[in-house]
Amino acid sequence: MPSITDCVVEGLKYPFNDIKKLLVFGILFVIFDLLSLAFSLKTLDITRIVMGTLDKTNATTMGFSQMPSGDVYLAIAILIVGFVISLFIMGYQYNVISFSINRKDDLPGFEDIVGMFIKGVKYFLVSFVYSIPPMIVAFLAIILTTNSSAWPVIIIISVLLMIICYFFLIMALNNMVAHDSLKKAFDFREIIDNISNLGWGKYVGTVIFTAIVFMIINMAIGIIMSFLAVIFAATINNQAIVISTVLSIIQALFVTSYCSVFFNRVSGSIYRESIK
Amino acid sequence: MILDIYKDSLEYSAKDWKTLVILGVICLFSFLLLPAFLITGYNYRVINNAVHGVINGRDPLPDFNDVISMFIDGVKVVIVQILYLLVPIIIFLIFALIAMQVNGFASSAIMLIGAIITFVAFVVVELMIQIGLCHMAYNDGALSKAFAISEIKEAIDEIGWFKCIATLLGLIIITLVIFSVVSMIIGIIFSAFGFSTAVLGIDPTGIFVLGVTVNFLISMFIVGPYLCIFNSRSIGLLYTMQV
Repeated sequence: MPSITDCVVEGLKYPFNDIKKLLVFGILFVIFDLLSLAFSLKTLDITRIVMGTLDKTNATTMGFSQMPSGDVYLAIAILIVGFVISLFIMGYQYNVISFSINRKDDLPGFEDIVGMFIKGVKYFLVSFVYSIPPMIVAFLAIILTTNSSAWPVIIIISVLLMIICYFFLIMALNNMVAHDSLKKAFDFREIIDNISNLGWGKYVGTVIFTAIVFMIINMAIGIIMSFLAVIFAATINNQAIVISTVLSIIQALFVTSYCSVFFNRVSGSIYRESIK
Repeated sequence: MILDIYKDSLEYSAKDWKTLVILGVICLFSFLLLPAFLITGYNYRVINNAVHGVINGRDPLPDFNDVISMFIDGVKVVIVQILYLLVPIIIFLIFALIAMQVNGFASSAIMLIGAIITFVAFVVVELMIQIGLCHMAYNDGALSKAFAISEIKEAIDEIGWFKCIATLLGLIIITLVIFSVVSMIIGIIFSAFGFSTAVLGIDPTGIFVLGVTVNFLISMFIVGPYLCIFNSRSIGLLYTMQV
């Protein structure tokens, strides 16, 4: 039997099968990144204006009507558009998992935009539901223990819970994609069956291994990007926003899309191994 | 038998100087983090060849094809090494914590005992890492086999603990000797040049700088990769010595 790390090797090679589609997927990430950059710039503007007004009037609070309304609406609009784009991204990831489970070697296309959107909503819903338990615990930690010293314990519990939920989430997403029904994402008996079929140690080990490879790639790219940033900063003066935009475009176009396809491909292969 | 291993490995590593240069170039770029894993991955491939070969066999040097799986192999090797090395580090930290609590003579005594135990643990762990990597390579690269401690212990038992430790010690000595001899020879040549120019009345600084640079380049592109392959090959052959 081949080693399970062969899945990781296969997943790393997979995005190279069709670079064009990978780049189209990368463009989605570029739009998303630019929107989040614009959003943070807008919020910065708004905070600046708010602080300025507070300074002038010597007040400690201000009404919503006093806020720069155009900017606020623009920021909210950017937020919504960004969310929609991220739904498309999730839909594509859904397709990647489905191709991986069905052993298709090419990358999914972009013909069925509406289907992609619906799949993205499903993907988002499942990820959201699985992140509710740790959020509740973290929320309790903030509300209940503002004055007591117990909060580090609760934060640690919340982080542990988040990791456990994440391990279930991967298998739940796979299960949902394989049967193409939202209900299967919460069929805990089948999820646990699948994982114990593969072996808990092996499952956890593979996911951690994939995560380590993921982190190494990102760290290496980060080092290269910081070199690029130094080079750009040395040649172009006083253009921090331009530099960070260019770098984030490069990163989103090539790296983030690659890593995302890679991770979802591997998680699909884990499911494929587990039902064997 | 140990000498046979060394002889075979010394010949094996010198088979192809192009490989050495390629490894050297990768080493040069290893500050970009990804190439560093390629080097460990290549060492793993050498081990893999050795484990599936025989002493004095005609194994070729592994190729540089399939970079991605080489990278993944390198990541595996690094994970194995880090996880094993955590053991002596934790032992040392425990002793250090205990030594901080007490004071006076007892503190230094505990620290001394701790250092000795850590050293023994380090030697054992280093042996486990090397044989564990071989065991992993022998079982088609299953990461869990690198941590199958009882199987690895059996393998070491069959080879013989003394033989293993002697081989490792010999490897360290050979590595150090080759390294220092090569740099010494280059150093002698260039200082001879330098002194003769100084006697002739010319400023010898340039010659010395050139000597240091040549020394650095040769140890990076030729000697370093050569010793890397030599070490991996020897360990892999050591693993095949079990009956």
